Amino acid sequence: MDEAGIAKGVVMTIVDAPEVNPDALELIAEACAAFPGRLEAFARIHPWYGDVAVALLERALGELGFKGLKLHPVTTIAHPAGEDTLRLIRVAAAHSAPTLFHCGDEPLATPLAVAHAAAACPEATIILGHMGGYFHVDEAIAVAERHDNLLLETSAMPYPAKIREAVERLGPERVLYASDGPACSPLLEVEKVRLAGLPAEAEALVLGGNAQRLLEAVR
Amino acid sequence: MIVDSLTFLGESLFGHAASAAGLIALMDELSVERAVVCPLKPPRYRLETANDEIVRAVEAHAGRLVGFARVDPWLGEEAVAELERAHALGLRGLFLHPWEETFCISGPVVDPVLEAARGLGLPVIVASGYPWLSEGLQLGELARRFPEVTLVATNGAQLNISGLGQQDAELALASCPNLVIQTTGVYREDFIEGIAARLGPERVLYASGFPAFDPRLEIKRTQWAPNLDAAAKELILGGNAQRLLLD
Repeated sequence: MDEAGIAKGVVMTIVDAPEVNPDALELIAEACAAFPGRLEAFARIHPWYGDVAVALLERALGELGFKGLKLHPVTTIAHPAGEDTLRLIRVAAAHSAPTLFHCGDEPLATPLAVAHAAAACPEATIILGHMGGYFHVDEAIAVAERHDNLLLETSAMPYPAKIREAVERLGPERVLYASDGPACSPLLEVEKVRLAGLPAEAEALVLGGNAQRLLEAVR
Repeated sequence: MIVDSLTFLGESLFGHAASAAGLIALMDELSVERAVVCPLKPPRYRLETANDEIVRAVEAHAGRLVGFARVDPWLGEEAVAELERAHALGLRGLFLHPWEETFCISGPVVDPVLEAARGLGLPVIVASGYPWLSEGLQLGELARRFPEVTLVATNGAQLNISGLGQQDAELALASCPNLVIQTTGVYREDFIEGIAARLGPERVLYASGFPAFDPRLEIKRTQWAPNLDAAAKELILGGNAQRLLLD
C-alpha cells in the first residue's frame, strides 16, 4: 500500500467463515487492530451456515467494527439470489454495510445473477467485484444502469477504457477502485484507473472518495 | 529490444478497428521496436482479404511489423491453401482463434493447418483460455500431437478472473516444452512470475493484445513485476519473441 500510495485498504480473508477458516473474523480483526487507520474489514462468510452465518456477520458488524460483507459464490456454490444469501445481505444492509460479490465469468457469479440479489434487496448496497471479469463487463455496466443499488469495483478487470465507460454511464459515484492485492499488483491496478483518463474529480471519487463514503455510512 | 508478440489490425466484425499507424504510434510511445500483427475477424468473414491487409501493413512498415496469417480450420484444404498463399506473400506464422471461428483446439479439425504450419516451419499463436474451446489442457493436447511446432497461447493459456484456469495452464506448460504463453490480460502478475520461476522465463512472451487490450497497461505487467529479475524481463519483453517468432 505504501509503495502504491494507498492510504487505506479494505481487507478480508481469501476463504470463507466458518469453513474453511473458523477463525477468519479474528484473523482480520487482529490485522486491522495492528494497523489502525490503515485497514478496514469485510467479513467473508459462507451463506449455507444459516443461523451460524448470520451470527458471525452480526458479531463482525456489531462488535468487531467490520464494514462490509464479502460473498464469493464460486467457492460457496451459493447463488447470489438464494434465500441464505439474501438473508446475509439484509443483515449487512441493516447496518448500512455494503455487500461485495465476486463477480466474473463463472456460473453463480455473473452480473445478471447478482442483479437478482440487487432486485430482491433494494435497500442493500451491492458491489460487483471485478466488474464482470473478462467477458461480462458490458453486462455489469448494463445491470448497474438498471439497479441503482449496484456499484462496480475495478480490480483485475483488464480494460481501462471500460472504467471510463462505466463512469460516463453510471456516474463517478458508482465506480470503486480496488486492487485484489496481493495477487494483483496494487501499483498496476492504480495505474489502470489512471489510464482510464477520468476527469480529476471523478478519478478522486473512484480512487477513494466513494469507498470512504461507504465505509463512513456503516453503523 | 522490446517485441509485442500479439497485436491485431484491420476492421473487426465486432465493431472496432485498428490501424497500423495507431499501433506504430503506441509502439513508439512504449519503446516497442517490433510487433507481431494478426488480422481481426473481418466484417464479411473473408480472412483472405484480411491477410492481404496484414501483408500490406508489413510492407509499409518494414522492420517494425511481422505478419501472421489467420485461417479458419473448418475450411480444410482451403485453409491450408490460404496459409501457404499468405506465407508466400511474407507472413511468418499462423494465428488461430478457436472462439471466433468456433472450433475446439484439441480436435481433429485443426490437423491439416497444423500439419501445414509444421511443414512450413511456422509458429502458431492460439487465442487461449476460452471455455470449452481453448482451455489450458486442451492446448496441451495439441502441443503433444505437434511437438515440433512452437505453440504460443495467448492470455497465459487461461482467462478466468478467479484464476481457476491457472493450474491447468501450468500442467500443460510443464508437460509440453513446445508450448509457451503470452502475458496479455493475465489475472495475477504472480502467475507470470510463478511460471517464469518454476518453468523458466523462456516460456513467457510479452504481448499487448492491442486493440482489445491497452498496451500502456499490458507492458507494465512485466516491466513492474516485482519478482522478475532484469534478465527474465529482457527475455519476456523481447528475447523470447525474437528467438521463437522472428528468427
